[in-house]
Amino acid sequence: MRKRLLTLLPPALVALGVLFVPLDMFAATPVTRQFTVQASQFAFDPPTLRVNRGDRVVITLEATDVVHGLYLDEYDVNVRVEPGLSKQIEFVAEKTGKFRYRCSVSCGSLHPFMIGELVVMPNDAFARAVGLTLVAALAALVYLSRFPPGEA
Amino acid sequence: MLVIVVGLPVAALGYHLHLFPDRSGVRTIDIVAAAPERGGFQPDVIRVAAGEKVRLRFSVPDVTHGIALGPGLGIDLGQIDPGQVEEIELVFAEPGRYAYYCNTWCSPNHWRMRGVIEVYDPANPSRLVSDSRPDPVTGALAEQGIDIDAPHPASVIPAAAKPSATRGEAFSTRAETPLPPEFDDASWRRGHSPAEAHTLLNRELPALSEEEAWDIIAFHWLRDLTPERREWATEQYAKNCAACHGEAGTGTGPGVDALRQQGLGRHGEEDETTAINDPQTILGGTSNIYYAKIRRGGMGTGMPDFGPVFTEDETWILVDYLWTFQFAE
Repeated sequence: MRKRLLTLLPPALVALGVLFVPLDMFAATPVTRQFTVQASQFAFDPPTLRVNRGDRVVITLEATDVVHGLYLDEYDVNVRVEPGLSKQIEFVAEKTGKFRYRCSVSCGSLHPFMIGELVVMPNDAFARAVGLTLVAALAALVYLSRFPPGEA
Repeated sequence: MLVIVVGLPVAALGYHLHLFPDRSGVRTIDIVAAAPERGGFQPDVIRVAAGEKVRLRFSVPDVTHGIALGPGLGIDLGQIDPGQVEEIELVFAEPGRYAYYCNTWCSPNHWRMRGVIEVYDPANPSRLVSDSRPDPVTGALAEQGIDIDAPHPASVIPAAAKPSATRGEAFSTRAETPLPPEFDDASWRRGHSPAEAHTLLNRELPALSEEEAWDIIAFHWLRDLTPERREWATEQYAKNCAACHGEAGTGTGPGVDALRQQGLGRHGEEDETTAINDPQTILGGTSNIYYAKIRRGGMGTGMPDFGPVFTEDETWILVDYLWTFQFAE
């Protein structure tokens, strides 16, 4: 039993490595992602923006009723927008994680709750998934060749 | 004891004067600027003597407003966010009527957000401050039986891209093709639509190509728009017009939805008269018509009257700017 577990240990370590070692060479090519965000009392539409790390994010911000703003945590973005005059925001999503954006111009009673979310995903999920599958397949082959079923 | 008896009142008075330096005789008028459904400007009428120095202090309780004074005063306090206060000291030299108004879209009723400053003659304070005199252009249109609220569709429009004023200038100054003299007559141009001018060119100079004719019209319809006037108009368009007519004149600003919900005017029907970049809609109208529309507003369309806000010359600048949505430089 112990021997079997020991056989599985190296592949498990490799799998962990495939999952968590930061390797930029497998990253997908960054793309430009365009969004149109409409700000109105008291919500952003869409409320969630999803991008990958390294992507260039272009947001066209529009206000539909009164003056609003968009302040994005961690990204040094703070833009004011008037109804009828759209604004362009451009930046490169270099940090992964969830970042709140909120209205930065007091716009009415529920202004403090006017919040949206930018989700920056690590952009190598596909490469890691492929790697993990290969490791699992190899481990299965080794395991089965060493301990053919029916011999236990 | 002496310190308390003498020092306390002195300190209190000094602090008081420090807090209120305007005990110096300048009258301060506090104006609350709220969206019309929350009361609009409070107060919305101010009486001031000619020559009197007053301080207007605007505070904003609800959403961002833009405060400007007109006509012809060139005063714009800019946008004031909730909780902020802006003030201005000014003297009105002559009796007359002025307006303070919001120039940032703030509500479906934004266009109602106006206040009146009545500047009266101190020698005769009970005399009524006259309302604006009748507008000569609007009056003349009425006499000619031209309905400024009716659509004025163009009989002919440019086939392809925007006509170019620069190319048109080159054609216009070429000696071998003298243009009809009407083109140099500013009042003729204001009284005739580009479509009518095109018909005239076709008749007088049949050798001109379609494109050349439109380029010539573009040049003459934009020739009064100097760079300074264009800059002024661009700023005013962004503040007062873009919320409905859209940045590019497409008539798709957020204000249009608001007006439609109020059941105002033609905004729900096929002919989107707010689309001022549409040649079919605009090229059949004259500068005089658009001047009258801006000053008087569009009856039942939600287009406000800008007469109390802009001088006649300022209105002409806006009309000239209107043609930039049809004609390129």
